[in-house]
Amino acid sequence: MKAMNRRKLIKVSAVLAAVSLAVTAVPAQAAVGVSSREIKLGMTLPMTGTASLGYNKIPGAAKAYFDYLNKNGGINGRKVKLIVKDDRYVPTEAVAKTNELILKDKVMALLAPLGTANVKAVAASVNPARRGVPVLFINTGFSGFAEKKKYPTTYTVLPSYVMEAKIMGEYIKDNFAGKKIGLLYQDDDFGTDALAGFKTAGVNFAVKVAYASGSQGAAAAAGWITKFKAAEADVVILFGVSSATSAMLGVAAQLKYAPQWMLGSVGGDATTIKLTGVPAGVLYNAIGFSPVPATTDMKDEYVKFFSDIYAKAVPGSTFDLNVLLGMNTAFMTAQALQAAGRNPTRKSLMAAIDSKGASFANSALVPAGYSKTSHVGLTGYWVGKYSPTGDLSPIGGTYVTYTTDSGSGAVVKSTYVRPAMPAKGLPN
Amino acid sequence: MDLLNTFLIGITAGTIYALMAISMVLVWRSTRVVNFAQAGMALLSTYFGYEAVSRLGSFWIALPVAMIGGALVAALVEIILIRLLVKHSSSGPIAGVAPIIATLGLLGVIRSISAMIWGGQDLRIVGPISNDGFTINGTTLVFSPLKLLILVTVLVLMLILSIVFQKTNIGLALRASAYAPEIARLSGIKVDWVRTLGWALAGAAGAVAGMFQTVNGNGTLSPDSIEFSLLLVSGFIAAVIGGLDSLIGAVIGGLVLGLMIAFVLMYVSSGLFFIAPFVILLTVLFIRPQGIFGAKAARRA
Amino acid sequence: MHKKQSRDIFLFILGGVVLFFLSGMVDELRVYQGATIAIYVIAISSIILLTGYSGQVSLGHGALMAVGAYAAAVTRIEFKLPIILCFVVAVLLAAIGGALLGAAAARLSGPYLAGTTLALAIGLPSLANQFTVLGGEQGLLFDVGFPPLSLGEEFTQYKWFFWIAGLAALISMWIIKNILGSRYGRTWRAIRGNEVAAQLSGINIARSKILAFTISAGIAGLAGALLSMTIGTVSPSAFPLALSFSLLAGAVLSGLTTLGGAMIGAVVLVAIPEIADVVAHRVGSSERVTTNLPGFLVSALLILTVLFVPNGPVEQHRARKAKHLALKK
Repeated sequence: MKAMNRRKLIKVSAVLAAVSLAVTAVPAQAAVGVSSREIKLGMTLPMTGTASLGYNKIPGAAKAYFDYLNKNGGINGRKVKLIVKDDRYVPTEAVAKTNELILKDKVMALLAPLGTANVKAVAASVNPARRGVPVLFINTGFSGFAEKKKYPTTYTVLPSYVMEAKIMGEYIKDNFAGKKIGLLYQDDDFGTDALAGFKTAGVNFAVKVAYASGSQGAAAAAGWITKFKAAEADVVILFGVSSATSAMLGVAAQLKYAPQWMLGSVGGDATTIKLTGVPAGVLYNAIGFSPVPATTDMKDEYVKFFSDIYAKAVPGSTFDLNVLLGMNTAFMTAQALQAAGRNPTRKSLMAAIDSKGASFANSALVPAGYSKTSHVGLTGYWVGKYSPTGDLSPIGGTYVTYTTDSGSGAVVKSTYVRPAMPAKGLPN
Repeated sequence: MDLLNTFLIGITAGTIYALMAISMVLVWRSTRVVNFAQAGMALLSTYFGYEAVSRLGSFWIALPVAMIGGALVAALVEIILIRLLVKHSSSGPIAGVAPIIATLGLLGVIRSISAMIWGGQDLRIVGPISNDGFTINGTTLVFSPLKLLILVTVLVLMLILSIVFQKTNIGLALRASAYAPEIARLSGIKVDWVRTLGWALAGAAGAVAGMFQTVNGNGTLSPDSIEFSLLLVSGFIAAVIGGLDSLIGAVIGGLVLGLMIAFVLMYVSSGLFFIAPFVILLTVLFIRPQGIFGAKAARRA
Repeated sequence: MHKKQSRDIFLFILGGVVLFFLSGMVDELRVYQGATIAIYVIAISSIILLTGYSGQVSLGHGALMAVGAYAAAVTRIEFKLPIILCFVVAVLLAAIGGALLGAAAARLSGPYLAGTTLALAIGLPSLANQFTVLGGEQGLLFDVGFPPLSLGEEFTQYKWFFWIAGLAALISMWIIKNILGSRYGRTWRAIRGNEVAAQLSGINIARSKILAFTISAGIAGLAGALLSMTIGTVSPSAFPLALSFSLLAGAVLSGLTTLGGAMIGAVVLVAIPEIADVVAHRVGSSERVTTNLPGFLVSALLILTVLFVPNGPVEQHRARKAKHLALKK
């Protein structure tokens, strides 16, 4: 009886093995992921789970731009196809899905993967560098990924958390000298990077409050406020994710607690904050930072163009910072593909970013640092204030931008002039 | 002031955990199942409440709508899923695991269906009364009319349920059906329907927890919101602390959990947020392995 | 008895040979998935030992896997020990953790144990942010090194992972099988069957339960170390509550009392999301549906399994066959 069962099991295993074998490799092509009609790109990010809120709009935003591009001739006649997989913000899943994208779907490049732990795990296990697979415009501000030696095919796009903290520090020195400063930060690498930046900038905090990622809710926020109040902080910096910022501001409104707020860009998107029920008035006069124009600035040609496309592609969904960044990334990718030659390959794609990436037209108001020796993306922020209706807009109506690096370099006012948007928003 | 605020924070969070724990206890008492889908069912009921609010504009109409919706969903789950479960997998090693797996599966099903219908993004429910804190001597407390309302509602609900359980035939039937289904059946109790009733009551209580958790948080509702994943875990842990069998235990368990977490966050470290429930639970169970109010012998009905 | 054991050894060796040739025939993605399957086989069999045989429920095996993973990575980074020793450390530390948990667990029954282990699964991985040596949110690199050159230039990293994981799976299955067949295995089954009767016949219940937890945790620790090997890093987010749940689900899909069925559960856990993905994109119209269909299908499968194949496919088949034979007679 028992022996029979074991044989059964072996039979089952053999069938399963045969099924696995049936899926055979696609014959090798000249350029992986590029056919005469199509260019395949792959993306993994959390589409479900608690970490997915807000970020799950990015694929829709990128696809909205690519669809527009495809309707208008694509890249030299090739349509851009974006394959999106849900990694639920779990590194194991990110590795498994990235393997599928590279080995089964045979994408040309990976686009905008999200989360520090995930990007690191993919780099270690899938090893896109050894496979020569470009990892374009990653969705994390951790400064380490810009190290070209360690991550030779990875390109960052968001300014690093260190840069942001340094620029905030500079602003504090210029405007809030002698005031008591409080800081709310995430109790992991996101926060560690920020602390390093503030240290370089020489900011001394009267009180620092750390929160564990995933614990941020109304109850936790009430506790934070108690601590800031006890330390009598005049300025409170919220250097956390959106859910932490909204929880904090929402509870602050209930408690009528109103220090001078300063919001980090990660959790500072006004649309997202207001969507969670924070009264716009609470945001009034808070200081905010962003590399791209305000999402409500319809005078900006890029914002107008992107929001028009998005409204048609995903009706009913609000055009927020995640959407703008997602579309901006797609737009930069299109230009990189266009610049990679008539028959783009992985190598020519990366070479194109190395040589022309710094001059790609895109909505950001700060320069990008791409060069033959650097994969650093955007390098700064503009400083703004939130309006009575809770929208971030430049102080005095003009964007004042600062740039710096992730090291000990100084913070300087930028003289960067953004390239005008190409005709019809198509790469040329 | 710090101390008072921390205390108030803990109490408010604790009452909602307590509500969730009550609904887990109701299910446990009627069918001996730990329902991991309870927070999912609460989520679905809150979506019903959202539909009602957005159509009719009143939270006070939406709350009963959510409760009725929650009760119906829970009753359906009991009739379709739990009866089959009891029939097919109530013996052998699977008996201890089957309800966990089945209700976890149910949680996944409810989550995905909700996300398919309402999308993965935030929807909003506005609370019935102000959530602005009371002001005493010029300082604003973290305690608001809304939080007071939640506190009172939980107390009233608990009182009603206690009366139902201790003083009426329904309560007796519920307890008998769970502890000694065969004897209950012999004495003429329609065990199956009594169990369904237990689930329905739990569904309604869970709906209240879901609605309140939403308005007490930032008012947003999404299948993946942090508030709901906290609800799932805290509700269960609170119920276990309290002893799973006891309604009063569930309330005490919820309050203990809420208070302890608030004090740990305030005075120890935020990094211990996730490990704190484990330590609290272990401490309580070390002293009383059957929870604070749990019956020592399982047969004591 | 001797004959049976030598036949078992033969079968295990045969299994190894089959895996060896298989790894040379399939593409890299399948080799990677093969390694994942081998790891799930180990993790699921640790649940089968604990729940199916000793009758204790754990919702916290993901945390024990994390203990093993961090133990291996820290040993590798701080002491630069050979990889095999790192795995040994992983097993030992996780087993110690399991013994502690088991000591608490022995006093608890059913849902109380489930609650405690659930709280552990949520709490433990987050501790990594408290100690810098554990690398915080982005985690630690865990590099087992390149495959030996003697295996040839073409030998990929994933094939190397697959070999290590496959060998580990065969060895663990072999050990578990022997433990379950030993005095301890019989003791556990006696306790599971009737605790009071077991106690009357002189079995030390608490000690047996703690032993089961210790062994199960050690095996889970090995699985954790192997899992972090395949993703090259150890980080808190790699061990979410969902992992603990899916291990339990895998064990139920395998059949809680059929060790050999672990293969089925493991294959399903790896294959279903991919199949569901394909189905979703065939069927799905809107993005909302395609995104959430895989989650729906996996959850629905779980419910159906518990309802209709509660003891696992192998046991079900055996039962049906036995009934069939009985009818024939």
